[in-house]
Amino acid sequence: MNTDQLIDLLAKNVEPAERPRWARRLLVTLLVGLAVAVLLLVIGFGVRPDIGAARMPVMLKAMFSAAAAAAALPLVARLMRPGRPLGWRIGAILVFLGVCALAAFIALMGEPPERRMEAWTGGGFPWCVVVVPILAAPTAAALLWLMRAFAPTQLMLAGAAIGALSGGIGAMAYSMYCPIDSVAFVTTWYVVAIGICAALGAVVGARFLRW
Amino acid sequence: MADEAHLRALMLKGLDGDQAAHRALLTEAAGLLRAYFRNRLRGAPEDAEDLVQETLVALHTRRDSYDANYPLTAWMYAIARYRLIDHLRRARHRNHASLDGHDVGESDPEYNASDARRDVTTLLEKLPEKQRTAIRLVKLEEKSVREASSLTGLSESDIKISIHRGLKTLMRLMAQEQPT
Repeated sequence: MNTDQLIDLLAKNVEPAERPRWARRLLVTLLVGLAVAVLLLVIGFGVRPDIGAARMPVMLKAMFSAAAAAAALPLVARLMRPGRPLGWRIGAILVFLGVCALAAFIALMGEPPERRMEAWTGGGFPWCVVVVPILAAPTAAALLWLMRAFAPTQLMLAGAAIGALSGGIGAMAYSMYCPIDSVAFVTTWYVVAIGICAALGAVVGARFLRW
Repeated sequence: MADEAHLRALMLKGLDGDQAAHRALLTEAAGLLRAYFRNRLRGAPEDAEDLVQETLVALHTRRDSYDANYPLTAWMYAIARYRLIDHLRRARHRNHASLDGHDVGESDPEYNASDARRDVTTLLEKLPEKQRTAIRLVKLEEKSVREASSLTGLSESDIKISIHRGLKTLMRLMAQEQPT
């Protein structure tokens, strides 16, 4: 079949194109992903025992994680459809990272020098860098699936953006478990955990997003 | 870009179901894509034509991914570029020793611009039966979707979905089937 015949085949009996409701599908995917992450956390890890008394820090950490997701969301939405400039969407992520670094720095400076190390590391291994990617995985899988149904052309970047977005969702769920409330800890290790999600997303995306 | 406004108008009409406009868009796109791929795959005009066909199917099956707030040509070339990168990656994967083979082939002056290396007709045979039947009836035998529906006993939306899925599968098969 030569190219002209192929064009005939494609153009024959063409129907009006459907308008894909991509914004709604993206939103639904995120909400379902969050629900699954919370379920996974409650079943697999449990919530922190003092969650009733610690409502405030839990809320703040969840909001911080939601802000991280919100910083990555515009880039994900943009990369779903080809040929659109990325504009400020990378910048939004860089600004978020800058604010986090600044907040961590200011918070650490406010601590007495001998307590700084503990405030920064939380006095042990930062488990969020392991658990957040686990909680993020279902969201990431659903987002990759959704993205592939559209037409991503920058697969590695799209995968990284999906990883960061689902990392933010995973961190929202994780805040119900995480016993450490220091600002320096959260603005450092949650961001590292989300960064790990982004790196994994870039690797998986480069393979799985192909179409 | 003199082409941009014209192509965009064709695209928007095609999205609304205007068959002639959609055909005109694909025809003009084929010319632009041929130049694009030939420039980048010198000495391998059959590969270039394979990519033209592959990209045309991609433009068609993914046409709902066009955002009308942005230039049509940017959308088209973003997809073309992606298909090219994917092609080169596959070529390297298949046979990293003989990538140079692309450069040594003499281009044949007698060569017909529309000849590709692979044959889409053969690939259509490999589709799952439902998709193959839907494409055969509506796309090759020129039946309407309604006629195809009554002939097969499938619902009209089922026919449409089968065609769409079939063409997406076709593009994947085209991408896999490139001979070394």
